[in-house]
Amino acid sequence: MVYLRSEEHLKRWLDDNGWEPGATLSAPQMNELARRRYWTKLDPGWRPPMPAEFEALLDELGLVGEFWSLG
Amino acid sequence: MDAFDLDVRRHVYFSIVANGCPPTVEETAAALERAVPEVEDSYLRLHDAHAFVLFPDTTNVWMANPWCFAPTPYRVEAAGRVWTGTCAWDALGIPGALHGDGRIDSECACCAEPVTLVVRDGLVTEGADLIVHLLVPARRWWDDIGFT
Repeated sequence: MVYLRSEEHLKRWLDDNGWEPGATLSAPQMNELARRRYWTKLDPGWRPPMPAEFEALLDELGLVGEFWSLG
Repeated sequence: MDAFDLDVRRHVYFSIVANGCPPTVEETAAALERAVPEVEDSYLRLHDAHAFVLFPDTTNVWMANPWCFAPTPYRVEAAGRVWTGTCAWDALGIPGALHGDGRIDSECACCAEPVTLVVRDGLVTEGADLIVHLLVPARRWWDDIGFT
């Protein structure tokens, strides 16, 4: 999971490494996902999140489809 | 994950925030007044449960997401300390976990030019034009978490 300056840099990076594209998010989208995913990480009563909770968060952020499926 | 493992995990995470680094098995055993082998077994179970990640063949914490304890190109300033994020996602997760602002200094994976993101009040106020790419589909993230 890497930062890139533009779609052009992404294409060049994938081509140089011979990798198939995965999923691309804007920095604000990634921030929202990261912030919400980790918000409770330090709660004293933290419990392992259920897959369904994470799937619900992905759905809420519009991150749907085969790439985001937890399988 | 039983109550003891949750206690161990909580101690590991709270120690990271307090000290900037994860505790050893011996330090956790002393803090929780438990035997070292018990805590060692707990660390291994927590690794297997993906609560944190140990360096291969050790009980030293490598990643307690979003924090990483090996060099990466994700330097994060938050809560008055400099941290290392595991990846582009986790670098943004550190200010989130700490419920505060943050600054991330990293690089473009393509050209290695420096990139900076600033998070204020939960929003990206600098670096919002950057993109993040994930190569590995969600169902395979834990197949090789170091690569993911």
